[in-house]
Formats: sequence, C-alpha cells, structure tokens
Amino acid sequence: MTRYGGMGRTRPKKLTSKASIPIVREDEIDLIDDEIQNALQQIETGVEKAEESEFHLQVAINAAAQGKVNDAHIPTPETLLSNLRYDELYPPIFSQPATYIRFSATVEDCCGAPYCLDEEDDVFLKIFNQKRDASGRCTEDQFEEVMSFFELTSRKEQPYACVDNSPLMSFEEFQQAMDPAVDDSVKRFAKDIYDHWKSRRANSEGEPLLSSPKVEAGRDTDDTDPYVCFRRREVRQTRKTRGRDAQSADKLRRLRKELEDARQMVALVRQRELARKEMLAIERQVFMQRSEVKDMKRKLNIKDDDEDLINQKPKKKPVEAPAVQRPAPQLRMPPKASTQAAEDLQLLDDVQAEKENEIVCDIRQNIAKHIKWNEGYVDFTRAPLSPSPERTFDAAFRPAITTQLPTPPSSESENMLDSALDTPSAIALRDKLAPHAMVLSEDTSKMPSFRRRIGRGGRLWIDRRNVASSCRVEMDPVKADRFKFDQDSDEEIEYDRDPYDTQIMQHRAIMAAKARDQAAAAQAHAQAQAAQAQAQAQAQRRLQAEQTAANNPPSGGQPMGSNPGPGAVASASET
Amino acid sequence: MGGRDEATGTPDPVEKGFATLNTIRIGMKAMVQKDGELRKAEILSIKQRKDGTAFYVHYVDFNKRLDEWVDSARIDLSHEVELPQPEKPEKKKAGPGNKAPSKNTQKRARAESRDISATPDLLTGKNTNVGKTQRPSKAGGKENRDDETPLNLSIGGSEAVSADGTPKPESDDVDMIDVSFTKDAKEEEKELMSREEEIERLRTSGSMTQNPTEIHRVRNLTRLQMGKFDVEPWYFSPYPASFSDADVVYIDEFCLGYFDNKRSFERHRSKCTLSHPPGNEIYRDDYISFFEVDGRRQRTWCRNLCLLSKLFLDHKTLYYDVDPFLFYCMCSRDETGCHLVGYFSKEKDSAEGYNLACILTLPQYQRRGYGRLLISFSYELSKREGKLGSPEKPLSDLGLLGYRQYWRETLVELLMETGRESMSEHDLSMLTSMTEKDVHETLVVFNMLRYHKANWVIVLTDQVVEEHKKRLEKEKVKGARKIDPARLQWKPPVFTASSRTWNW
Repeated sequence: MTRYGGMGRTRPKKLTSKASIPIVREDEIDLIDDEIQNALQQIETGVEKAEESEFHLQVAINAAAQGKVNDAHIPTPETLLSNLRYDELYPPIFSQPATYIRFSATVEDCCGAPYCLDEEDDVFLKIFNQKRDASGRCTEDQFEEVMSFFELTSRKEQPYACVDNSPLMSFEEFQQAMDPAVDDSVKRFAKDIYDHWKSRRANSEGEPLLSSPKVEAGRDTDDTDPYVCFRRREVRQTRKTRGRDAQSADKLRRLRKELEDARQMVALVRQRELARKEMLAIERQVFMQRSEVKDMKRKLNIKDDDEDLINQKPKKKPVEAPAVQRPAPQLRMPPKASTQAAEDLQLLDDVQAEKENEIVCDIRQNIAKHIKWNEGYVDFTRAPLSPSPERTFDAAFRPAITTQLPTPPSSESENMLDSALDTPSAIALRDKLAPHAMVLSEDTSKMPSFRRRIGRGGRLWIDRRNVASSCRVEMDPVKADRFKFDQDSDEEIEYDRDPYDTQIMQHRAIMAAKARDQAAAAQAHAQAQAAQAQAQAQAQRRLQAEQTAANNPPSGGQPMGSNPGPGAVASASET
Repeated sequence: MGGRDEATGTPDPVEKGFATLNTIRIGMKAMVQKDGELRKAEILSIKQRKDGTAFYVHYVDFNKRLDEWVDSARIDLSHEVELPQPEKPEKKKAGPGNKAPSKNTQKRARAESRDISATPDLLTGKNTNVGKTQRPSKAGGKENRDDETPLNLSIGGSEAVSADGTPKPESDDVDMIDVSFTKDAKEEEKELMSREEEIERLRTSGSMTQNPTEIHRVRNLTRLQMGKFDVEPWYFSPYPASFSDADVVYIDEFCLGYFDNKRSFERHRSKCTLSHPPGNEIYRDDYISFFEVDGRRQRTWCRNLCLLSKLFLDHKTLYYDVDPFLFYCMCSRDETGCHLVGYFSKEKDSAEGYNLACILTLPQYQRRGYGRLLISFSYELSKREGKLGSPEKPLSDLGLLGYRQYWRETLVELLMETGRESMSEHDLSMLTSMTEKDVHETLVVFNMLRYHKANWVIVLTDQVVEEHKKRLEKEKVKGARKIDPARLQWKPPVFTASSRTWNW
C-alpha cells in the first residue's frame, strides 16, 4: 500500500503503511507548509455527497477540527418521557442468570396468539358473553386464538388476496383446517367469531387485521413501492461453465438415484412387513385349527402320535429352497426371520432328534461306565468292548514318544492304508503350510505323530505326521504341491473328524517301552508287534466305524485348521 | 409555473416567481420560518386540515430529520419562490395541482433507478434527483446503513434533495431509455390517473397524498411510544401503510412488535414474555449486555428491528430481507429486562471487508456515549476475528462524527502511550483493527500527519493532547465505559458455503 498523501508528486517522499513514522509533539516542529496540509485535507468523508454540505454537519466538522468537539452537535428531534403506565405494562419479572443468556425461541414462540383484540372486539365480546352463562363465555384469550387462526389461515391460503381480490374464505373452508389447529374448547365459538371476523375484514377493505409490512406479491409496482420491504434476495450468480454444469447434473442425478433407492427400500420394507403380517395371520389360523383338531381328537378319543399337531418341516430341498430363496433376496429377510417361525413351533424333526439324542446319551453313558470299570486296564483284545469313543474323538495327532517308533513296513501299510499312502507327504506339507493348526503342544508337533479319523462313508483313516521325513526329502516340493489337491474328494481336506486312536498309541507306547527294554535285539519282535497292532487297528477300525457311524451321523465336522487341541475337540464335534 | 417551453429549455437557471398560498405546489422552494430565521425549504407535501393547509417542508441544507409540517403562517411569501425544476413537459397538461412535478419525479426516478443500480456513485455525484427510493445496487446488496451517531449512508443518492436543487437534464432522457420502458410508461399513465383519483379521495379525507415514489420523502409516522419514552420519528419507514393515520404507534420494547391501537398493544404486553433480544448474550459488564441475533433465525424480530431503525436511519434500505445479517444488540439491564439501547448489523460474509453495516443508538439513548461503545464493540469483534474492518459507506452525518471521534481517540490513546517514539500506520492498524486507510485518513483529517524536513512525522497536536487529558480526567470522575475484551464470549460464527449461496 502506497500513498502519496495527495500532494504534488515530486515533493514528499512516499509514505508506505509499513514505514515507521516518528511521533512528535507540536512544539517540536516548525510551522508547517500550509499548502501541503491543505492538500492533505481533501479526504473523503464517506458521507453521501448530497449531504456533505448540510449545514449542521459542516458546523460540527469544523468544530471538531478546531478541537471544540463538544460543540459539534447536530440537532435531532426531541425525545420525551412517556406518560404510559410503564410499570403495569412491563412488570419487573426479569432475573438475570449468572451465566450469559442463551436463547433461541422466536418472537412467535413468546407472544402467544398473534392477534391482539382492540376496542371493537371488546364490544363484540361483551355482547357475545352477555347471552351466556359463566361456563359458556368466551375469554379474551380464546377469542384471540380463533381470530389468529382465521387471520393466519387466510394469509396462508390466500397469500395474494391483496392483489387478486379473492373473496374471503368461507367458514366451511376454515372448518377443514380447524380440526388439527384449534383446541376443541375454543371451536364452539368459531362460528360466531367468524361472522365478527368477516365483518371486520369487510370494514378494513380486505386488508388483513394482523398488520404486517407489505411484502412482494408479484405486483408491477413492487419494485418502486416504498412500503414493500424484505424482499427475497436473488441468489448470487455463479459463473456458468461446462464443468459446473456437468457437476450439477451429476449431483442431481446422484441425488435422484439415492432418493429413488430410498424409496425403493421403503417400498420393500413395507412389502416385507406385509408378508410378515400375513405369515402371522396364517400361523394363527394354523394354531386355531390345530386346537380344534386337538379338541376333536379328545372328543373322539383318537390316539396317535399327534404329529399333526406339530409343525412339519417343509420337505427339505424342493419346498424350502423356493420358500427361502424367493423372499430372501427380495424382502431381505434376515436369516433369523425365516427361522423365527420355526423357533416358536416345535418341529417334528426336532422332537425326533431329541428322542434320538436321549438314546445316544444313554449309550454314551453306558460306554463311559464301561470305561470306568476298565480303568487301569488295557484291553488288548482284538475287538475291545470298550473303545473309548470320547477319546477317539477328542484326540488329535498324538506324538509317538519313542524314538524307535515302530513304523509299519511300507509294504504292509500300503496294503492297509491303501489310498492314505498317497497323501502323507501332502499332509505333511499341509501341516507345514498351516502351522497354527499344530499348536497342539510344545515341541510334540515336531515329533512323529499319528491320528485316526473317520473319512467319508465311515472309513477309518490313520494320518501320520512327521513320520517318514524321508518322504519329504524324497519328494520334490513342487511335485508335492502338484498333488496337494489331487484327492478323491474335497471332504478329505476338511478332516471332518480328528479322532485319534489312543488305543493304538497306547499299545505302541507299551510296545515301545518293552522294545526299549529289550534293546535292539527285540527289534524284529517289535516290528512284528507293530504289524500286529496295525492289523488290530484295522480290525478295530472296522468295528468302530460301524459304531461311530451309527452314533454320529457325519454332520458336525471339525476342520483341522481350527483344531484347538485334544480337549476341545470332543465337545465341539459332538452334537 | 413554468411553461412547457421554458421547462424544456436549459434547466440551469432557476426559475423564480411569486406565489400565493393557493398556488404553492409540491416541489416549489419557499422561504420558511425556522427557529426564528428564514430558511429556504422545499415543499414536499400539502394537506388540508381543519385549521387550514399544512405543508411538509424540507429545509435546504438541513438534514431530512428536521423536515416538518408547518402551517401557512410560517411560509413567507413576500419572497420569491423557486419553481420546481426541470422537465415538465406534461405539467400543463396535468392541470393544476401537484401532479405534474411529482410525475416527473417519478419518471426521472425510474430512469435514475436504472442508472443507480449500475453506478450509484455516478448518480450521487450528479446531484440530480429529487428523491426516488433507491434500490441499493443489487451487487452489493447490503442493508444500507446509517446510524445515529454515526453514519448514514446511502447507496444511491436517493434522497437527497440536492443542494443546488437543479436537476440535470439527463432526467429527460426517459423516452430514450429503452424499449422495455414503454411498458413502464404506460403504467405511469395508469398510475397517474389512479393517483389523481386517490388525491381526490385523500384530500377529502384529510390525509396527505403522494406519488408513490416520493411517499418515502415524507415521514409516515407521527409519534412513537416505546418503553418509557415518546419518540419522534426522523424518517420514513415502511410500517403498514395504515399506520400513517395513527397518532401514536406503540412499539413493544422487547419484541419490537408494533401496534397502532393502544388496547391491542396492552393486550399484547399481557402475553409477551420476551425480556431481552432473542439471541445469545455474548458480552456482559456492569453496565450493558450485547446479544447476537441471527437474521435468519429470528426473522420476525430482526424485521421489527429494521423497521424501527429505519425510522432513524435515512439511508438504510429495507429492500431486502434480513437473512444475511447478524445483529449485535446493546442493552441496558434493569429488573424488567434487557432494554435495547442500540445495535449494529453486520454482514455474515462481507465481500468488501465491512465490519459493520448499520449502526443506531435509539434516539432516547443518544448523546450518552452509547454510540462509541457500539463502534468500539464492532472493532472488538474484528479483533477477535483477526481482521481489519471498516463501516459500510456512506456514513450519515451523525455516523461520520461518531466514527471520527472514535478513530481519533483510539489512535491518540495509542500514540500517547509512554515510550512510543515511532509507529507505522500498519502497526496502528493491527492494534486497532481499523483499516490502514481509516488510520491514514484519520491522521490526515486531524492534521496529525505532516511532512516535516523531508520526513513524515505524526504530530500530537496540542489540541489532541489536551482533549486526551480531558477525557482521562472525565473517565476518572465518571468511570470509563469501555468494552472489556475479556468479557466477550464469542467465536466468529461460521457459515457454510451452502448457507451463503442460499442466503441462509
């Protein structure tokens, strides 16, 4: 910012706003050059040009320039104390809060009915009330409420009444709007007050009784009419560019789409709720009819299994699929919704399953008892009566503790474990790939270990791990990988069950201990034992497969990946 | 009265002639007794009363707030009267009566109003016009302002009876203006007719009449009752037209509602529960409180406030609604509530960097230092915003005096601080939130900025030093009334882009 001070260009230095200017007293400097000072005086006052020359203003400005500020007085019309009864009209009710006032109510909120009656209304009201007893009188407040209603409604319904001379609204028209707007206690006066209102409006030549400043009404004279005020301001024009156009169009499109989506959603929700309602009605109907059937049965003394009183699960595939599929995507039925009904009702299947469960439980208890009896004993019989199914199920890989783990001769295992032999390395690899699955325990995971499981169709499998490290070495990892998924069925991958045959392991452990005792000399013997154990296992496996297949339909699978450990498996895989 | 030929001739020389009471017409300038002296005054309106004819006169070179109704006895017809100016092509045709001049004015006004919206300054520069209600330039669109102590300003020089009273010939251009005007012209014809009828009617009913475009030149309310005071309005304000007939208009002190009937007003008082401006209190000291009221949220109250303040602000326009403004209302407190003493409005978003649009101290509270507090508060807000600010122009006469006083005192106080040996205008500006322009001009106006021995110096003249001392003494006695920034609980309100775009 540079200013020249309004004087001849050549003479004074230019004064920049940042330049520091020394401050001096008047007596410290010489007389000044009047010419320059006069030139400096030409400063705009900011007052309207036409008024700058006004007499009193000039007097005041000159007085101020001469330091006589107090003389700089511009005369204004007088203000007097009013003889209004101020104290009555403005009661001293204000109490100042300790904190700053925060307030957002509007004038309308604070002033009650906008209509305020005048003397003319007083007369009307007096006459009106004379004819009535105390209970039927109309108070001033009620009167004003009704009048306000007429005024506001007609203003709303006929905003341009002052322009187009539309006739006053009829009482019938008002009545429609009155129901929600006006209190019942006041309505009874409405008709009488309407006549009064009408006559007052007629006297005022159609002008509203509620005085308000004139607003734009689309008249040609609006622009110059000094009484018209508070016009809507034109929205600021923004520069029109193609980009902005596209942007706006996009926004509008998106807005439209979103609104449309929302609408759609609401429509669908409605559809869903209707469907639910219908469902409830139907269920109720079913229930009623059933209770009738029940009564009839009692009456007629029919005894059957009462299956017709319990909900039959719809035939699995053919029925349920359409039933669930159709509504699901459309109605967005949460999965719960479809089962909800079933939860309320007993299904035949459930009942049957429960029965079966009881049986299974019974069996299990017996087995447990049996095991208890045999505690401390090892059943070395070929087909032990008490295979402990629980342990069978809950064990995962069990490490083979002995170093001289009696690996079955390959020829033999080939026979016994037919296809299982094809995959050991793959399994090993998989284990490696999913290390967390082996959180079995400490370092046992690195030891050779075995697991028994039941495969598809109830076949028994023995999985080995870390057994023949030679396998891994022999096999090219790439090749192994190639076979990784080369399996007969996907189910194998899932390891539905990780039961472990403890018996075999126990057996082996004992054998191994013996073997250790007998040293290497007994090696051959041990191998024979192992072979025997395998054979035994095979036999037992068959037997057990029958049993477990019966006990446990191949439903609840325990994926290997989430195998938490021996203890947890049992509970998870049961049921 | 001037004939057509003369009128269309050069307007420059003022036509003079003698008139009688019966031939006095609107637009003429006659000598009128005012406070014991004769002053030239323009006749703005004439009305018949029981006791004779009354004339509404504007004293040339006096502010409009001194306009008044005078009876015929005060008009000195022994002097020549100046005839209404210029263009009166139709004057003769219009026949006797005041229509012609007013019609002309109207036409001119129209023409001007077009000009004005484009270049208001030009217009004011020309000094042409007789009034026409001006619309503020749309671009700027602000509430115009004016203020009591301070300033009035108007965007188009509308009011204004120009000092020399000689309209320039441009106004005759009406016909050339453009095609779109043909319609207007027709309307004018219509208006003219209906106006004649109206005049007839009003004359018999005793009320004054006016060309619509000059109505606003005549104060429409007679007296105002507000709070404990009876106040005389200064200027026209667009209260409902029916209010012109009322002897007294009652204003509720708190909600600022208006009533032309005492009974209604009393009824209203019994219902109204407001006891302070309907906004948040942002400042409080022992003496006053400030409330911030949003024009958009409190439309009714702010409209009431604007109608009221228009009575005292000449150049304020109520053309547009109050939405884009915030109103900072200063109140004095007592047991009945917080009584509005004065206010200033401020644009929510001022493109020109104004920190104040209109400022007014209600007349019943004027000359007590409130105006200075208002100004001071507006700068306090600017300081809080970290901005420099200046009042919107033009200023009124009172506004100019008020601001100059505040500026001078503020600057002198800073310059007098002990230990100050030099200061730049920039520094002064940063410390006061005044714009550098205002700082500079204030220094110049009070003859404090001088060129001395090839260097600029700020001179603390004996005069300002003395005034400063006086002021300090006075404050010692009476206590200083100042805005204490620590008591201001306020963050600059933020308005989103959309709210600005849509004028929320």
